Amino acid sequence: MTAEGNGQLETLIIQSVLEELSKNGLFDSKNKQQVVNSAVQVINSAASVPITPLIPEDEETVTLPTDEIMVDNPFNLEAIRAMKKTTPARIGIGRAGARQKTVSWLRFLADHAVAKDAVFVDVSEDFLKRMNLVAVTSAAQDKEQFLTNPELGRRLSEEGVRIIKEKCSKNPQVQICVVDGLSSSAIEANIPDLLPALIQGLNSIGLKIGTPVFIKHGRVWVQDQVAKLVDAEVVISLIGERPGLGTAESLSAYMIYRPNENTVEADRTVISNIHKGGIPPAEAGAHLVDVLEQILKVKVSGVKLNQK
Amino acid sequence: MSQLNIQTITSVGIDIGTTTTQLVISRLTIENTASGTSVPRMEITAKEVIHRSKIYFTPLLDHELINSVAVANIVKTEYDAASLTPNDIDTGAVIITGETAKKDNAKSILEALAGLAGDFVVATAGANLESIYAGKGSGAAAFSSTRHQVIVNIDVGGGTSNFAVFHEGKAVDTACLNVGGHLIEFEPRSDKITYISKPAQKILTACGLTLSVNDHASMTQLRLITKTMAECVLELLNQNRLTPITQELLMTQSIRSPFSFHKVMISGGVADYVYTEIEPLSVEEVTCFGDLGPLLGWELGKKVVASGYSLEKPTETVRATVIGTGTQSVNLSGSTIHVSEQTLPLRNVIVLAPFATSENIPYQNISLPIIKAVQSLQEDGTNPYIALSIKGPQTMAFADIQALARGILEGMRDYLEEDKPLILILEDDCGKVLGQSIEALALGPIEVICIDQVVVDECDYIDIGKPLMGGRVVPVIMKTLVFNR
Repeated sequence: MTAEGNGQLETLIIQSVLEELSKNGLFDSKNKQQVVNSAVQVINSAASVPITPLIPEDEETVTLPTDEIMVDNPFNLEAIRAMKKTTPARIGIGRAGARQKTVSWLRFLADHAVAKDAVFVDVSEDFLKRMNLVAVTSAAQDKEQFLTNPELGRRLSEEGVRIIKEKCSKNPQVQICVVDGLSSSAIEANIPDLLPALIQGLNSIGLKIGTPVFIKHGRVWVQDQVAKLVDAEVVISLIGERPGLGTAESLSAYMIYRPNENTVEADRTVISNIHKGGIPPAEAGAHLVDVLEQILKVKVSGVKLNQK
Repeated sequence: MSQLNIQTITSVGIDIGTTTTQLVISRLTIENTASGTSVPRMEITAKEVIHRSKIYFTPLLDHELINSVAVANIVKTEYDAASLTPNDIDTGAVIITGETAKKDNAKSILEALAGLAGDFVVATAGANLESIYAGKGSGAAAFSSTRHQVIVNIDVGGGTSNFAVFHEGKAVDTACLNVGGHLIEFEPRSDKITYISKPAQKILTACGLTLSVNDHASMTQLRLITKTMAECVLELLNQNRLTPITQELLMTQSIRSPFSFHKVMISGGVADYVYTEIEPLSVEEVTCFGDLGPLLGWELGKKVVASGYSLEKPTETVRATVIGTGTQSVNLSGSTIHVSEQTLPLRNVIVLAPFATSENIPYQNISLPIIKAVQSLQEDGTNPYIALSIKGPQTMAFADIQALARGILEGMRDYLEEDKPLILILEDDCGKVLGQSIEALALGPIEVICIDQVVVDECDYIDIGKPLMGGRVVPVIMKTLVFNR
């Protein structure tokens, strides 16, 4: 609220407060003008002092301990330590009465915030340039549309179709799509190490790789349209997974051999949980080469591939 | 994928000890335990002992030399009993333990067993490995991982006591003491001494006894001897300063466990007398097998409990070492990359760690330490197969993995020119991408085998067998172990 004129707004507020008080016999109205004047003076002098935040600026960033055992007087500390090693779940965090301790609660809120951010931020322009990706968008025009109308994320925008036709090489054996999906953080965290390993491996077994594209606001099915546009044998999408409270940086790879109008979900092969705490991205890149080679050899993907 | 997802192999374990010789045949199941959406992970998922031999007295030519022909006959007899032929055996290990390991027996036994014990049976020895196999066979290793408590297994056999400290299923320290039930021999069920081994002579001297062969020993004397032996064992367990006699009997370094413990398990030939309620009271009862075993077990059990340790029962006693050898000696490589079947098996591969353990390598200096380490191995004119043990790249970034690949290729250039496969032991989860990078960066075709570090922890020699599971893994057998390298 900004002061209007010579404190007219403040004067009005104070006057009305004083009127209320005198109605209830709590204020003697003969001193009214004097009280109003001194009150406005106090307010104006206070407004010229800058507002100081409650927390000093250098203490605003708080690092919460992540992997601490917080059970009081554990019966077998070794056992908790061994169990914690097997899972990223929030175990061995102790309790305060019937509830979790403050640190655990704050950690939970912080992880939730990170997960939400992963959905709502975009992959940066700078990143796309560095990775040398041809960038297109889906038919969803913004995050709101993308999140509320899944159908739009499953096909390219008209401009996207035009760009892919113009810039991408035709008839590749492997077409690579990088898709933001539900976690842009997953793209920026994993692609720099995954993509070069994948490309190196595909090159070393002599496969023809298409021009890698990035699809903003894309979902898994958008890969079918890309594959048809460039006439790819197999298309692989590296797509950000829905963030969880464990990690917001998890990536999945969906692969399908020659998708067409009869394609169903069971035709896709998936490798999931790619992030630094799961399958390390560079290692995943090398493994995906084996999977793609296998798909090209038997000319099917998904459940049918497992049955071969 | 069109790949085999389950396979069973048959493994034989043969334990030739000071007193007894035993054999077990087990069936190991190998499976891909990873889900379909993950990188395949081959693991041994089941170990079933399908045949246990009788317990034979180790056939000896004299007190030093094993009768290897008679050992081979035992093996033949037991195969017949199990209705198996040597062709049915895929892998296995012979462990020559206790006093017999000191003697020059390994070579003659391997020769006698050639062609008998399958295609890929290796001889292992060394007190450290024996201690670990015993502790795995006795159930101590499993106890430590399921109960999350540190436990010490002591396998007390005829000639030696083998200590292994287990933490979360993994051996963290071992030691071996020249104390066992068969160091002094008697006419069975009599007080007449027929043989006194060298370590027993030292123990007698320490007790102030002057017994010799053909003498008759009293129960009081036997008690004094076995009490002294048990005290030596306790000294190691307590990790205190050792008395001169214990120091003399110690065959390895003493125990220096990184974890404190109060659980103890005892396996081996004398173990049955540790866990019994019936005290041997007469000389005849003590010498029922022609040795001191029963009384040593009794005294040891009493002393362990009196010193405040809690004594846990093993799942195997006299057979612990052979079961451990038969079921635990074979491991799987992890992410094997690319190797032709003709290259394998490889025997006596030296594990070489050019960098300080568990440190990530600063990548400007990869090749030089490798060159130096390889040269120091070849100084004596030999040219062995080498497995490079490396923690991993400086970070898991692709650029650092490439740098490591380049450094390894440069450091191993001379070695690789002899068309030997590049064998890597890695701690970090990067075997596939490192192997792929090496293949991409190498100038010609190259064979690469990657082995997970957990498989060959603290081991200095390995054998690598022929590929399994459609070429996706190779079996790896540890041969000798060193702690505190």
